[in-house]
Amino acid sequence: MKLDIQNVSKKYNSNKYGLKEYTLNIENGILGLLGPNGAGKSTLLKMIATISKPSNGSILLNKNNIVKDPNYMRKQLGYLPQDFGVYPNLNAYEFLEYMAALKGIGGAQLKQRITFLLEGLNLAEVAKKPIGNYSGGMKQRIGIAQALLNHPKILLFDEPTVGLDPEERVRFRNLISELANDCIVILSSHIVSDIDTIADQVAIMKEGQLLCQGNQKTIIDTVKNKVFEITVNKENALNFIKQRIVLNTIRKKETVTVRYISDTVIESSIPCEATLEDAYLYTTKK
Amino acid sequence: MKNFITIIKSDYLQRTRSYAFLITLCISLAVAYSFIPAPGATYSTIRIGDYLGFYNSPWIGYVTAIMTSIFLSLSGFYLVNGTIKNDINSKVGQIIATTRVSNFGYLLSKTISNFLVLCTIAFIIFLMSIILFFLYNERFSFEILQFITPYSLIAIPSLFFISVLAVLFEVFFIQKSILQNVLFFFLFSILAIYDHTDTSKNFYLDVFGTKIITFQMEETVKNTIGKEDLGQLNIGFVLGNVSEANHFLFSGVDFPIGYILSRMGWVIFGILLLGLASLFFHRFRVKEPFQLKNRKTLLQTKIDNDIDISILPKVALSFKIFPLIKTEFILLVRSGYKWLWILNIAGMLGLCFAPLPIAHQMILPILWFLQVSRWSSLVTKERIFSTHFFTFASYQPLKRLLLSQILSGILLALLLALPLLLRYMIQLDFMHIISIILGGIFIVSLAVLTGILTKGKKLFEILFFMITYANINAIPFTDYFGGLHHQYSYLGGIVILVVILLTISYSIRNIELKRI
Repeated sequence: MKLDIQNVSKKYNSNKYGLKEYTLNIENGILGLLGPNGAGKSTLLKMIATISKPSNGSILLNKNNIVKDPNYMRKQLGYLPQDFGVYPNLNAYEFLEYMAALKGIGGAQLKQRITFLLEGLNLAEVAKKPIGNYSGGMKQRIGIAQALLNHPKILLFDEPTVGLDPEERVRFRNLISELANDCIVILSSHIVSDIDTIADQVAIMKEGQLLCQGNQKTIIDTVKNKVFEITVNKENALNFIKQRIVLNTIRKKETVTVRYISDTVIESSIPCEATLEDAYLYTTKK
Repeated sequence: MKNFITIIKSDYLQRTRSYAFLITLCISLAVAYSFIPAPGATYSTIRIGDYLGFYNSPWIGYVTAIMTSIFLSLSGFYLVNGTIKNDINSKVGQIIATTRVSNFGYLLSKTISNFLVLCTIAFIIFLMSIILFFLYNERFSFEILQFITPYSLIAIPSLFFISVLAVLFEVFFIQKSILQNVLFFFLFSILAIYDHTDTSKNFYLDVFGTKIITFQMEETVKNTIGKEDLGQLNIGFVLGNVSEANHFLFSGVDFPIGYILSRMGWVIFGILLLGLASLFFHRFRVKEPFQLKNRKTLLQTKIDNDIDISILPKVALSFKIFPLIKTEFILLVRSGYKWLWILNIAGMLGLCFAPLPIAHQMILPILWFLQVSRWSSLVTKERIFSTHFFTFASYQPLKRLLLSQILSGILLALLLALPLLLRYMIQLDFMHIISIILGGIFIVSLAVLTGILTKGKKLFEILFFMITYANINAIPFTDYFGGLHHQYSYLGGIVILVVILLTISYSIRNIELKRI
């Protein structure tokens, strides 16, 4: 599987772009899309999912232009949108059957696959209850189940861990790792911890543009030997914070410990090991 | 006071800055245009026996004001109803509940916002009436007061009271939109039919304020021709050869002070009702639409399994449309309240046992109207429930999903009409069978087009309400199910209309899918 995004733009009006001249190549594995709110992550995923069309550029899946032939993508797509809804009058089983029909899948094994998915996502015991009665986390699991209905070759997860409790998050991350063996998984989030443990590749976006892409090591290396911690008095803290790219602050009774990025070492600072979160904040703030 | 005005302004802007409202205004313009039939048109709107007024300022001003008062009251309720529900659904209500705004202040602000929305439409109709005066100019002088006076005294108080009713219904029948629609339908019918023996004095109970005008019109004709028996007064879209009608000169009405006070009385009565309702206002302490009966049980589902991807059975490609039709039909049947099915069954029993003309002309349109909420959500539910991300990314959404939605809607219509269809089948009356089938297809097609066009439910609900009201009053123009017309040529017209509606629906949805 190979997904090529070539110079894709989404223009809302003459001045406003949701995405600007975006180019990205992805093969099997997990791509983590990181970026602040409004970076264009959802816009990009919607275009890959064929529910939004680019103003310019092309998106190729295995050399097939999915802008012109969206059904090629739809046949092998699993998509979990950020703000999706469900039909509250249907139960989980009926909803998944409906989703299967929409995706154009069926056959004798469908019922069994739905049952397996519901069991695997811990929804079997409520499968016959209307989805309107489900909690946010349970609805999110229904969303994950529908994304896996058709044995997808490309999976798009837009902020998938919203509404999941910590244990569910861990299970979801494990699931994604397993899925990525034979397909492309694109996972968007603005929470770095959702991505840093599983993503093979990371792309950092801001204001509709790709700021950097690479494996985690490459991205972390951009801030290698630039991350420090310093403890300053509360009175001096505000001034210090204003002048630097600050990653984190910890307030104590009289002092503030500041984690920051700098090309030069400031006296009494302690060098720290850089993380993906440091690189992400540095890239998006600089 | 400033906060109060800000609430009204924000609410008004939120409701009018929408594509659906723009379409509503366009339809209002078209409807207003029809209020005064063009010279040579084959229908009339207000006709006293064989008499119609000359197109002078009073006639055009008063006729359009009467039509606005009645028809905008009728459709306006459905247009503005739902404003509190929106606050509940958007969770803004929970924020409002924590502010200092009083119940009365909130309900009054909602009423005034409703009223302003209706006044905006009335203003558009008012402008159109002036344009029509100059368009159909019969060399009478233009008198602006003959336009302003009837709109101010007839239409404005009626619209205010309807705005109050819309809020009251929402307070007392929380989130029961189907019940609100049905109850208003009956209330309006009672108010419109209510007859006053001596309208020249007894106008206090006339909420629409129109009967004094029609009484004055009848008196003018009587004085003109010197006869007491004029024939029937018709208000509405009445088909007939109006070229043979005689004309009389209507010069307006000198409103008695009692009438003016009575109109103010309706406004004050409305405000008092709001005050009373504020004592019962829920202040957003309402149950969620899907309140859990056993929430704890559901929330305590154990998280102890993991998916093993390797053992998931493989599925095959299947582009059958039947599973989609099945689910769409289930969604239609399950939406709305269960008690409505008791009414549906009662209606179906009526179709079984009532005399055929009553079953066809009265019970069938009412039974179908009871499904208004179901059909209005047929193609709009994706947006309402935010499932459009799934449906629009489905395989061939236009050819498969849209078709299944249309077919499931028709299936519901025909299922409800089944007893009547069987009765006609026993009589081998194929004309009526085809009429009913086409009627079902037509009303579903209308729901689909208006839903796709506006992305909302309101327009169809308003149109369907008006059509049903006209059906019950045996107005032939709106006979979409062959209750009054028994010619194959008429059925041919319905077929053409259905084809047009579906073609436009298909094309617009196609464009919509390409432009998303």
